[in-house]
Amino acid sequence: MIKLIIRIPSGIPGLDELVSEGSGSFAENTVTLVYGPPKVGKSVFSYQFAYEGLLNNEPCLYISTDYGLKDIERNIANFGWNLSEYIENESFYFIDAISTIAGVEVESKPNYFLSSVHNPTDIMVKLGMAIRQITSNSPRYRSVLDSLTTLMAFNDEVLIVRVLTVYIMRIKESGGTAIVTYTEGSASSRVENMLKAIVDNIIHLDGEKLTIEAMIGSGKVKAHYDITSRGIIVD
Amino acid sequence: MKKTYIPKLDDILGGGIIDNASLMFSAVPGVDYEAFGYQMLNGRLRDGDKGFIFTNVAEPETIIYEFKSYGWDLEKFLKDTQAFFVDGTSPFIGLPSDAKYSIEDYSQIEEVILEAIEDVPDGIGIINNLSTLIDYLGENETINIIKKWNSHGKKYNTSLIYLFTKWDYNHDLIQNLKKSMDCVVEIKTIEERVIIGQGFMVAHSSWSKPSDTMVLFFVVQPGGVKVYIPKILVTGPYNAGKSTFVKKISKKSVSVDRKALSAFPTTIALDIGHLEYKGFIADVFGTPGQERFDLLLDVLGRESVGAFIIVDSTAPQTFARAKEMIRKAKAEAIPKVLVANKQDLPGALSPEEIREKMKLGKDIPIIPAIVTEGKGVTDALDALLGLLYGD
Repeated sequence: MIKLIIRIPSGIPGLDELVSEGSGSFAENTVTLVYGPPKVGKSVFSYQFAYEGLLNNEPCLYISTDYGLKDIERNIANFGWNLSEYIENESFYFIDAISTIAGVEVESKPNYFLSSVHNPTDIMVKLGMAIRQITSNSPRYRSVLDSLTTLMAFNDEVLIVRVLTVYIMRIKESGGTAIVTYTEGSASSRVENMLKAIVDNIIHLDGEKLTIEAMIGSGKVKAHYDITSRGIIVD
Repeated sequence: MKKTYIPKLDDILGGGIIDNASLMFSAVPGVDYEAFGYQMLNGRLRDGDKGFIFTNVAEPETIIYEFKSYGWDLEKFLKDTQAFFVDGTSPFIGLPSDAKYSIEDYSQIEEVILEAIEDVPDGIGIINNLSTLIDYLGENETINIIKKWNSHGKKYNTSLIYLFTKWDYNHDLIQNLKKSMDCVVEIKTIEERVIIGQGFMVAHSSWSKPSDTMVLFFVVQPGGVKVYIPKILVTGPYNAGKSTFVKKISKKSVSVDRKALSAFPTTIALDIGHLEYKGFIADVFGTPGQERFDLLLDVLGRESVGAFIIVDSTAPQTFARAKEMIRKAKAEAIPKVLVANKQDLPGALSPEEIREKMKLGKDIPIIPAIVTEGKGVTDALDALLGLLYGD
């Protein structure tokens, strides 16, 4: 059978079966918006997506606006996954856009980039630098931007739509597949519509149900999910 | 005229910026451009001028740290009250600010900057960044405010330097911004799948007619903005003096020589050098002269932006080989300078005799040199940089 769409596995048990009978969830080289109210598992979803890639030798470029590297490591370790070896072997790239705000001392690593939520221009500079490093070693990679909500708290919303447009362009140009998270209701409905319009896929989480509102190559799907000690599991 | 302290920019602008100029660095997202404004400020402060930074992108502490990473001591100027911050960041994230001015509400910004301009007569103010202002104040209000700031800057003879990220704003806004400035420097990316390089060019200047040269650069820590020439090739026949030339023009260099089987060491792989000269940076690659290594010429020539062809002025029998090497390095298409080496030896041909024998056009400078003594080496460098950047 010829696969017209190359899908990459989500790392979320049950989701790939739901989307394409197990052959992956996200069409390669697309950007997916994962949104929903607070505390429904958007970041957990991102961790699973990123970690699945690392397990498959796909580097990951993670832009965090909420947690520093140590926090992310700890959050991920809570689910029994070990990020440190991927940080050490430089397959996990991290743009830390929050630690400067907190004045936290950070260590210097080639795959660690310090930026600021105030300075989207600089985030884009660091994104370019990281992509250049990643694509010199790997034609395929994953990226996570978690979350747009914090960027909007520190900047004008429309500016963040612009940032997202550039982010998507850069990711796609360079062969990446990305997830972007956003907390429902934290921007105006106009901006929320703009966000939905510029991504390829949209997944809504509400704490119980996962709804695929839009997905390249598949229709609208809804399923129950749980957040367990092993991450999100879709029934 | 005031210097910009950005390598090459002063030359392009006819010596620098007029004293009370407004200048906008306009960059596509993803280009490292803040260093341009900071470098200008640092240079002016070191010259004894006063200056300020308005920031809405990072707290003053972070900017001081960035200055440090470039090797510039902003703290000293702050302590001496030669420089100060207009802090438009800390109040917004609930941090205390000990800046001279802090902005808690964007409605204050017009007046505060006007006051800051008065505090630095004959000095310089950096506005970082304009894009965030536009997003908060709206397009029309921002344009109006900029016009007021710029005319105030003219009154107090203060240079105003704006840093602007060119997100997908509408065309009219960009045009209006440009019209409000005395000078606009565009900072762009050179892309091939991902960003592979960055360059700047002067898009508009009210006091000079700049050339449309794109100057490649990168930002180094420490150092700041440096002009970047990706690769310079040094080629020429065997024993013409290529390795010595690479060593003379390079700050650091490595040569892979074979000494064991011969009384004369000769390069059997590559000479690799790193050049820093007049704010320019370049990697220099010297090729071996023997024909059996010619496959390297093709590889090295492909990405070179300029070449030095070294010839032994006393050995006209090697000139045909020199021309062959130019062809194999695909160096016909790139700017090149011929270095007529060994001018101190008996029988050395003059540059014009060499031009005639090699049938070279006038567009290729021929520089007489005694490379072992370093004579002619900087002339050759100046000549190539002149060709590359249209001096």
